Amino acid sequence: MSKLSEKAAALLSEGTVGLVIGYEQGTHGTRPKFCRKAEDAATLILNDKCLNNIGGYLTKPELIGSGKVAVTATLAVMRTVVQLTAEHQLTDGNVIVLALDGDEVLQMASIDEIKKWLAAHPEDLSDENKALLSKLKALSREERWNFWINEMNKCIKCYACRASCPLCYCNRCIVEVNCPQWIKPWAAPLSNMEWQINRVMHMAGRCVGCGACDRACPVHIPLRLLTISMAGDIKEAFGVASGTGNIDGNVLSSFKPDDKENFIH
Amino acid sequence: MSKIGVFVCHCGENIAATVDCEKVANTAAKFDGVEFATDYKYMCSDPGQNLIKNAIKEHHLDGVVVASCSPRMHEPTFRKACSEAGLNPFMCEVANIREHCSWVHEKGDATTQKAIDIVRGLVEKVSRDHPLESIHVPITKKALVIGGGIAGIQASLDIANAGHKVILIERDPSIGGHMSQLSETFPTLDCSQCILTPRMVEVAQHPNITLYTYAELEKLEGFIGNFKATIRLKAKSIDEDVCTGCGTCTTKCPTKKIPSEFNQGLGNRTAIYVPFPQAVPNKPVIDKDHCLHYQKGVCGLCEKVCPTHAIHFGQDDSFITEDVGAVVLATGFNVLNTDFFPEYGYGKYKDVITGLQFERLASASGPTSGEIRRPSDGKIPQKIVFIACAGSRDPAKGIPYCSKICCMYTAKHAMLYQHKVHDGESTVFYMDIRAAGKNYEEFVRRAIEEDGVNYVRGRVARVYEKDGKLIVKGVDTLLGAKPVEIEADMVVLATAGVANAGAEELAQKLHVSYDPYHFFAEAHPKLRPVETNTAGIYLAGACQAPKDIPDTVAAASGAAVKVAGLFSQPDLVREPIIAKVNRMPPPVFSTCVGCFMCETACPYNAIEREEIKDRRSGKVIKTIAKVNPGLCQGCGTCVSFCRSKSIDMQGFSNEEMFAEVQALLED
Repeated sequence: MSKLSEKAAALLSEGTVGLVIGYEQGTHGTRPKFCRKAEDAATLILNDKCLNNIGGYLTKPELIGSGKVAVTATLAVMRTVVQLTAEHQLTDGNVIVLALDGDEVLQMASIDEIKKWLAAHPEDLSDENKALLSKLKALSREERWNFWINEMNKCIKCYACRASCPLCYCNRCIVEVNCPQWIKPWAAPLSNMEWQINRVMHMAGRCVGCGACDRACPVHIPLRLLTISMAGDIKEAFGVASGTGNIDGNVLSSFKPDDKENFIH
Repeated sequence: MSKIGVFVCHCGENIAATVDCEKVANTAAKFDGVEFATDYKYMCSDPGQNLIKNAIKEHHLDGVVVASCSPRMHEPTFRKACSEAGLNPFMCEVANIREHCSWVHEKGDATTQKAIDIVRGLVEKVSRDHPLESIHVPITKKALVIGGGIAGIQASLDIANAGHKVILIERDPSIGGHMSQLSETFPTLDCSQCILTPRMVEVAQHPNITLYTYAELEKLEGFIGNFKATIRLKAKSIDEDVCTGCGTCTTKCPTKKIPSEFNQGLGNRTAIYVPFPQAVPNKPVIDKDHCLHYQKGVCGLCEKVCPTHAIHFGQDDSFITEDVGAVVLATGFNVLNTDFFPEYGYGKYKDVITGLQFERLASASGPTSGEIRRPSDGKIPQKIVFIACAGSRDPAKGIPYCSKICCMYTAKHAMLYQHKVHDGESTVFYMDIRAAGKNYEEFVRRAIEEDGVNYVRGRVARVYEKDGKLIVKGVDTLLGAKPVEIEADMVVLATAGVANAGAEELAQKLHVSYDPYHFFAEAHPKLRPVETNTAGIYLAGACQAPKDIPDTVAAASGAAVKVAGLFSQPDLVREPIIAKVNRMPPPVFSTCVGCFMCETACPYNAIEREEIKDRRSGKVIKTIAKVNPGLCQGCGTCVSFCRSKSIDMQGFSNEEMFAEVQALLED
């Protein structure tokens, strides 16, 4: 048994947690694994192939119940835990994070510990994403609009992006509000665009950059470019990294009397 | 189907001159849901209101649209009329076809069409409106007065005499403010302290007033009727209960060369000090920045000589919180220093002084015991020049406004000088003499005609020192801009009145608006001069704009009446235009997920948490946001921020506004 499995098994058999959420090897890659008994933990793995953001399961009460939970965490999952706690969706101390430092298993029980770890391991964009983003930013306004309209043309409004996003935890999404109908429900380039603009604005300063929306999209719209780009803008304008729980509230809404911008006084 | 009544007002010719009111009414009558539509010359008149009332009864209307002037004008009138006819007042909407249409467009079909469109928008909105009930909020009948100058003193006394409790806080060690520094007051030349100190004593003795000196407002939370003030009591290093005010400590203190604030730097004080003999309270404070004990850890002489052991070194600032229902801002003003003026020597000539410094020279309690002696060598100046409008009315200096008090006090200064130095020669350089006020013009004439003050209309370009004299170079514009040069012994600048230090910071703390010069802004320059835009916060005196003593006292009494009027109500009635978190039956309870992003967005701290509990087990099922109806000002920031649209604005709901906008955009 790997050290990770041993640790998870120990947490379960000691009764520290009632559930360990992790990854196991599936037929075509990794898949989520829910361990409720110590022996379930034998197949747990944690490596570069664990891309799905299992942090999203933490806000599902039907899965979690009311007890403590452990989750094996990549950096994206850790950011998710931190951001969800900042948004009062998780209680600090109720989620134990199991991470790997080389061969060693780290057990983090408090948000402060996770934040410290995240600060030491900042998110870095992949070269591929950087290249795509700079290509997109180099386009003129019209060209960029046409690019996205073309992409949105493919959208079938399946809302897989929403379902996969760990921060889309609302009971009722704005697209389901029909009184008034803010966003047209049918699939059409403009109404698809409306939905995505709304989704990304709702993610402003909150997105943890896990890329789950992008991977979930069945028609391969490069949705990560929207969220990454938004995170870059937030970083530039407000000097804070998105999805790190470090923002006091929401960047777009909070006001501080000592704001550096003069016009606001 | 709703039954809506549309009432189109002609407003005499104000609307009817450019809008075909009859056509608007006839077209509106055909809108879906409109039961009755008519037009009338003056809807706000008694017959107009009766028209609405009768139509409501006759046609059983459940919504009313009055197409008339801005809702800022007559919305209350029409809502009251609807209410009298048995309709919920919030089912009445005003379509503004005057300011938004008839006044800004020429006569024509397009103008009439725009009026029709505006009415259609409101018809759509009113058909989605819900009856609302006014909100009643309790009132804490205790006032906080910030600033213990004459404004704060007057406001405190008036409120206290009306039978309400008052907390008066003052930043300095004593109350009294600028008025206590003045020598005589215009236009009667009665001694300032003689008329002020009885009021100061009255404050100290009044059973309804709690006075905190050396205290500043740290934080103000809450809303009209229900503020919570946190007050910082700066450490005086004195046990006030034990101190008898004997003054031994102040005579023994070895640090004696600190420029006295009370004497405007013309005299000195000690590190442990009482600012002036009639100070209230007459107990010293230790100025930590200059005290040897605090700065170097030596001395402690005051502690040794104090007969009652009242000196407490190491005392820290303490904080108290007070629940108050209203706040009166009376933080006063200040005057510019001479170093503001490069043309008058940047403050480097000792004998160029400000008007406030002259007051100290002329005052019997001042550093020269009332004799006019110049600061440099103590000689009595034989030639003195007064320069009015030093900084004021000078856009180039960033102060385009008139400081209002300078014309009068300059006349007074010249008069006092002539009374004290009989053979002296005084000259006043002025732009205009603004002496509008009871007995003011007569006062200025007296200075000129009886006391022989030489008034020169013109500005002074430069003051410089030469052979121990101050050379004043100006022009006399009444003699064809003839250059005037005076060799003066002393120059007094009537420097501009400016906002007090920290005014901007305080305004931000209280959410009170202020003008570009950091004077606090009144809610309406004519009709609401002592109120601010923040309900429950009132203005008194020169924190609003430069004011003389009569105006200050009048404003303070006005603010006090506003406070007393507020406190005379059993509770506070507010419009129910506030945000509300939706609620629905179990198992959802509310679509709010409790992310509390709204909490950080709300500028009024109105978002609270509500725990939804299982009735039997008491277990918390869900924590959702809740809007405190007393705190919410209905700004709608939370509404636009809520991702799941779980918060909505009563009276301006998303659905209502969406329908109105859709209707406006329809062809």
